[in-house]
Order: sequence, then structure tokens, then C-alpha cells
Amino acid sequence: MDNAKSLIHVRDCWKSFPGKKPGEQVHVLERVNLNVDAGEFVCVVGPSGCGKSTLLNIIGGFFKESRGEVRVAGAPVNGPDPRRIFVFQENGVFPWLTVEENIGFGLMSRPAEERKERVTHYINMVGLSGFEKSYPRELSGGMRQRVEIARALAANAEVLYMDEPFGALDFLTRIKMRTDLIRIWQAEKKTLVFVTHDIEEAVQLADRVVVMSKRPATVAEEVVVNLPRPRDLDSPGYLAARDRIFAIMGMDVHGGGTGDPK
Amino acid sequence: MNRLISIFLPLSTAVIFLVVWHFLVRLSGSDLFPTPMEVVRGIRELIEKGLLLKYIVASLFRVSWGFMLAVLVGVPLGLILGWFRAAFQALNPMIQILRPISPIAWIPVAILWFGIDDTAPVFLIFLASVFPITVSSMAAVQNMQLVYLRAAQNFGVKGPQLFRRVILPAALPQIITGIRIALGIAWLVVVAAEMIAVNSGLGYLIIDARNAGKRYDLVVAGMVMIGLIGLVLDLLIRQLEKFDEVKWGYGQR
Amino acid sequence: MKLISTTFLCGALWLALITGMHGSLNLKWFAFKVPGAAAESEKFRIGFLPVTCHLTCPVTDFINQQVEGQSSFEPVRFSGWPELKEAFLSGYTPATFILAPMAMALREQGVPIKVVYLGHRDGSAVMVHKDSKIYRMEDLRGKRIAVPNRYSNQRLLVFRALRNAGMTIKDIELVEMPPPDMPAALYSKAVDAISSGEPFMGQTEIDGYGRVLWLTKDVWPNFISCVLAVHEDFIKNDRATVQRLVDGIASSGKWIDQSMDNRMDAAKFVAKNYYNQHPRLLEFVLSKPPDRVTYTNLALRKPDFEEIEDLAREAGIIGGDVRFEDYTDASFVPEASAMNASAYEGLKGGEVPPRK
Repeated sequence: MDNAKSLIHVRDCWKSFPGKKPGEQVHVLERVNLNVDAGEFVCVVGPSGCGKSTLLNIIGGFFKESRGEVRVAGAPVNGPDPRRIFVFQENGVFPWLTVEENIGFGLMSRPAEERKERVTHYINMVGLSGFEKSYPRELSGGMRQRVEIARALAANAEVLYMDEPFGALDFLTRIKMRTDLIRIWQAEKKTLVFVTHDIEEAVQLADRVVVMSKRPATVAEEVVVNLPRPRDLDSPGYLAARDRIFAIMGMDVHGGGTGDPK
Repeated sequence: MNRLISIFLPLSTAVIFLVVWHFLVRLSGSDLFPTPMEVVRGIRELIEKGLLLKYIVASLFRVSWGFMLAVLVGVPLGLILGWFRAAFQALNPMIQILRPISPIAWIPVAILWFGIDDTAPVFLIFLASVFPITVSSMAAVQNMQLVYLRAAQNFGVKGPQLFRRVILPAALPQIITGIRIALGIAWLVVVAAEMIAVNSGLGYLIIDARNAGKRYDLVVAGMVMIGLIGLVLDLLIRQLEKFDEVKWGYGQR
Repeated sequence: MKLISTTFLCGALWLALITGMHGSLNLKWFAFKVPGAAAESEKFRIGFLPVTCHLTCPVTDFINQQVEGQSSFEPVRFSGWPELKEAFLSGYTPATFILAPMAMALREQGVPIKVVYLGHRDGSAVMVHKDSKIYRMEDLRGKRIAVPNRYSNQRLLVFRALRNAGMTIKDIELVEMPPPDMPAALYSKAVDAISSGEPFMGQTEIDGYGRVLWLTKDVWPNFISCVLAVHEDFIKNDRATVQRLVDGIASSGKWIDQSMDNRMDAAKFVAKNYYNQHPRLLEFVLSKPPDRVTYTNLALRKPDFEEIEDLAREAGIIGGDVRFEDYTDASFVPEASAMNASAYEGLKGGEVPPRK
């Protein structure tokens, strides 16, 4: 991997949290190495609770690594940055603001004209026109995630960190959201780091899937998914990539079931 | 149909209550405790003398000022205590010590500090309502969902902007609940606050009626008016919960 | 935010509205002011309770209003002794009618209080339920007696009666209770006997469940319960006002005792304008019998107070350090010969003009 031109650069990253007993340390991440290039769509998968969210939070600036080096755009990460927006699993849309106020949240310093224009543009892009004046509680879970994505895009973020953003949605909505996310990514040319526990989702979305091991987690292997989009979920390439990841995670998908790693 | 029932049920409870009251007084043979009709006559007498409006206005005046001051002090104080750990550590023990002291215990202090015009009752009502407001505002900030804070920080919002655009609106539903409870307490305290020798108000009406010999009809009339106005105040303050900015905080209703 | 701005706007409008209404209805802000009339804040406030022991206070105010067209005194009515005392301590009421032993105790505790005149003579009673079998002090053995306050002379009265009956405080149970609550307590037999100033004793007689065990005039002639006390600073700064007050109290006392007609008039206008009681109550206690309570012979006499001191010490409410010369200032007491009854001619046609 060519470190010099990668946008996100994680080298020998360790993270531990204080445990319940005094003096005890819980090791979550060990020796994690990861590089993400500008414009790349990277998915991070791994067993539940392995620490993939922790890794994303470190890159996003909400946690500080215990040891190692984390640089984004050449600079060490010191806290969250408006150029790189986090999309939260539990939905970080502000319930006291309307859809358009939420999407314009990161644009307060801009002139009203420009703000209005950008908000309208991204409302249309995520397919929420007609809901400008609605409040989040009046929307479905999928629509709320669209608002949050639009909010990040409207603020002109270069990178989106997405922490299991579709985890709480129903199956059909999830499928639709994946298609739309790909469409938006292709239109906007953003860098996406997407954490999920759903291997099928990762293979459908990513240019590259980073597979993490159990806790304390490290990068077990990276799988490049070099398939054209929109992806055919029955194509041999897709199935091969999927099965490869299952194998890395120690599961035999042909034993039965649909392949849900849970 | 549902609407009819929602009117009919509470009304029939009230009617049964009044009938039971009437016959209990009759059965007891006492002529000290008034029947409902005597109370109604007492209220009519107060209206004819022009006293009822005067007293209601006086009580509402004191409660309004004491309560508004409590909101103006309690909400910002609670937000600060909830957000700044040092402020919390410095002030919270003091607040928790002052909080359980009944306003009645403050009456002597209030008279010594403020004499006996309107200031002392306003002070007592302020004291009674400022602590619930402060504590609920404080808890609202402390219990705020971390995700809103993180999202805001991610967009580079900090300082006073963070307070105005995120912390306050996120805490607002719980603050309003605290304010609603505090208004109930403020109104509850009006009788005690008006035991100080003010010469108007519904609390004064009750004290005054006790001085007036066998006028327990007026005592109960005062109680009835306090109850009815308390109901109206609660209905009014509940309107705050219907604003779009806070509706999300009250579940599906 | 819409919620906050709407709430602030509505709140401000409401405060303005309710303050305006309160100002006009209760504080008389917008009332036409008589030129030359003393402003409310400049008035000399006198604390009192709605009992007959303090009757001269409202009578003086009312007579001043009727005769001179205005009164520079403002009687402030309280419902209980603690509030009355605290308002005096805070300086809100520079003068007050107060229990004699309470004035002594306050003086002993360093409060600059001076007794300048008496409020009344007699005018208390001990009442029992008419169904009870209590006819003598001895019958109260093991019973519960309500008195207004530990500093009240009614409590001393009980001590005196115990002493005469050869009993001690251990033979009975004393409870403190605000006088307005006493009639209901006797009616429900929550207590066996009650004692306070009138008209709360007479009320139980009128309503038919109280019986007089004794009137103070029969067991403790010239009984004093309440006195007029003034803050010492005020005596230093404004002797003239204090003198006018004492003169007013003295002449209205004399006026009340001048005739039964005057008494009935006083009962009417005080009940209506000051006590907010039924006039029948005051009419009853001011006439049955006529010497149930009296308002003449109000000069400060050392032996009267020494007897109170003696009993107060026994009751444990004062120490040994009080001296008549310390807690009284007899210099305002008018000469008996120079004292005239108020020139007030009484109510015309029984109609009570409203208080100003």
C-alpha cells in the first residue's frame, strides 16, 4: 500500500479502556494498520463487539488512540473536524430541527442564499423533497438516515465515517439505502469509511473490505472487491468475495442459512 | 363517543364526590363544616363583595413573579451545573441541602428580610420552585444523548453556540417537565406564602376566614378556588409540550 | 426558537397584565390621591391581631379617619404571634400590640423594645365544652388545655390557677394553638379547655358548645395580656408620633368605655373594616358582661408587671434579668386628668363607612 498518497493513515494503532476493576485494562485494538485513499469506499467488517466502531471513532477524532499513529490528510487527528463527518448508528439527526434545518446545520456561517441552495440540492439528492418542513419524529428510520447523510454532504465533508448506519433499518429499506448510497457516492466522489457487521452489505458496497479479528482486534485481512457497479448479487465474483470473507471470519457459509454472520 | 366519555367520566366523579360530601356533612350533624351548597354561597358572597377577583389576582401576581424569577434563575443555573463539572461539584451539595427545606420553614427568614409586603411571598414561591427547575435542567443536560453532542462537535460548533443550538434544545423537553412540576409546587405554596400578613390572596382568604369565627364555608371556598386555578394553570403550561421543537421528548401521545 | 420567544413574549405580557391588575385592585396604584395625605409607605405601621385585646388599635385608626379625614397610622393585621413578632423585629412595624411576657423576653434577649402603654384590661377566659364535667380547676387534672403561645398571659393564667388549686404543670397538658383554631378544636373535643383573647372564647358560647370555666376578671382582676410596644429607635427619633399614638389609644379606650352605644358602634366598624368577623361576635364579648374586657386604666403600673414577671419566671419563659425600668417607657402615658375621650360622635344611623 502506498502510504504517501493515502488520505487516512493508521499505523500500529492500539486502544485500551479502563476496566471495571481498578487498574484493569481492556484491550480493544492491537497493532491495527489501515490506509484509505481519497475517493475510496472502504468497509470494515468484523465480529460484533470486536472494536471496529472504536477504530472509526479514533479516526473520527472522538477517541484518542492509546498508542500508534493516526493521520488524516497528513495531519494527526486531534478531535472531530467539520471536513470529515460522522454518521451515527443511533441517528444523530437533531429532533428539534426540521429536515431542512438539520441539513443546513453545518452551513450556519454561509450566506442564506447559498445555504438554501445547498439544502435544496441535497434534499433532492437523498429523495426527501416534500419533507423539508417535517420533523424527524414524523419520518421513518430510513428517511432519518438520509437526512443525516444529506447533512454531512451539505456541509461539504470530504470524508464520511459511517458507523453501521443501516443497522437499525428493516431489510427492504436497507437494500434501497445501499443502492442510493452508491449512487450518491458516485455523484459526490467522497471518501467513505463504512463500518458494518453485515458481510453481504460490505461486499455489495465497498471497493475494499477490511476484515477484523475478534477482540483484541487487528486487521485480519483485506479483500479487494473489484466488481462493476451495480453489482449482481449472483455473480461468481460477488459470491467468491463474500465466501472469502466468511472463511476469514471462521464461518462456513455452505453449511446452511443465508450467510448472516450473526 | 370517546369525547363524550372523556367529559362524562370526570364530571360524574365530581358529582358523586359532591353528593357524598353533602350527605356526610348532613349525617355528621355538624354545623361547622360546610356543605357544597354553602360553599357555593360563600363563593357567591365573595364575588358580590368583589373580593374573589382581587384575591385571585393577588395570588396569581405573587405566583407569577416568584415562578418567573425561578425560571429565569433555575434554567440557566441548571444548564451550567449540568455542563460544567466544576460548577456541579461546587454547588450541587449546597443545592441538595437547601432543596428539602420546606418554604414554611423559610417564613420567619422571609419576614425578617423582606417585611410583609408582596416581596416575602414572592420570595417564598421563588424558593419553592427554583430548586425543581434547577435540578431538572441539570439532569436534562447530564442525561442528554451523547450523539447530539458528538454530531454538533463534528460540525465544529462550540462555546455559547453549542449551548444555544444543541444543549438547550436537547434539554428542553425535560426542562419543560421540570417547569411544569415547579408551577404546581409554586401554586401549592401560595397558601403558606400568604400566611405572612399580606392582606389579599387566596391563601389569605383561608387564614382570614379562620379569624372570622365560623366561616369554614369561606375556608373551603378558598380551597376550591385554589384547586380550580391549579387545574387551569396546569392545562396552560401543558401547551408548552405541544411545540414542535420539544414534541419529540414526550413519546407518542 | 419559536417556543422560547413565544414563551417569553406571553410571559412578559402576562406579568404586565397581572401586575397592572394587582396594582389597581389591591395596591390602589391608580387611585386618586388626596393632596397632602400621607403616602402608604410613610405611614406609621402598627401590628395587631384580630382580638379584643388589640381593639384600641383599629378604633384609633378609624376614629382618626372619621374625625380628621385621614390617619397617619396604618394598622397591619397578623394571624399569629410569630409573624407579628418577626415583622416588628424586621422593622416593618415600628410599633405593635404584643403579649406582655413576650415583650419582656424580647427585651431580655437584647431587642430594643419598649412597652409604652397597655392595650386593655381583662378580656380573656378559659372555656370548656358544655358537655364536659369540668367545673373547677381540679377537674382539669390530666386534661389538655390550649393556649395561644408560650409567652401568652393565658399560659401564665393557667400557672396562676394551678398554684391556687395546689396543682403543678405536671398535672395537665398544655398545647400551643393559634386562637382562630381554638373554637374548632374545642368543638371536636381535640382539647378539653381553651384559653385566648376574645372574641374566640365568646364565639364558642354563641355557637352553643362552649361554657365559661372562668373569666379573667373574676380570677385575676386587672389582668393584662397585651401591651403597646414601640421600637426604641423610634422613640429616640420621633417622640411626637409615638406620643400621638399613645394619646390616640388612650382617648379611644376612654371613648369605648364611655357608653354601651360606643361599644356597639366599635363592634360594628371594627368587625366590618378590620377584623372581617361577624359584628355579633364583638357585640357579644363587649357586652356580656360589659366588663368582660375594659379599655381604661391603661397606665403602666410596676406591681402589675412584677406579678407577670414572677409567673413568667416560674413558667420558665424569662430569666432573672428583666427590669420594669428597662422594658417600659412610661413617659408617654397621659395624665389621667388631662385625658379626654375621643370626640368621635359614633356611627350615624348604624351605617359603617368604609375604611380608607
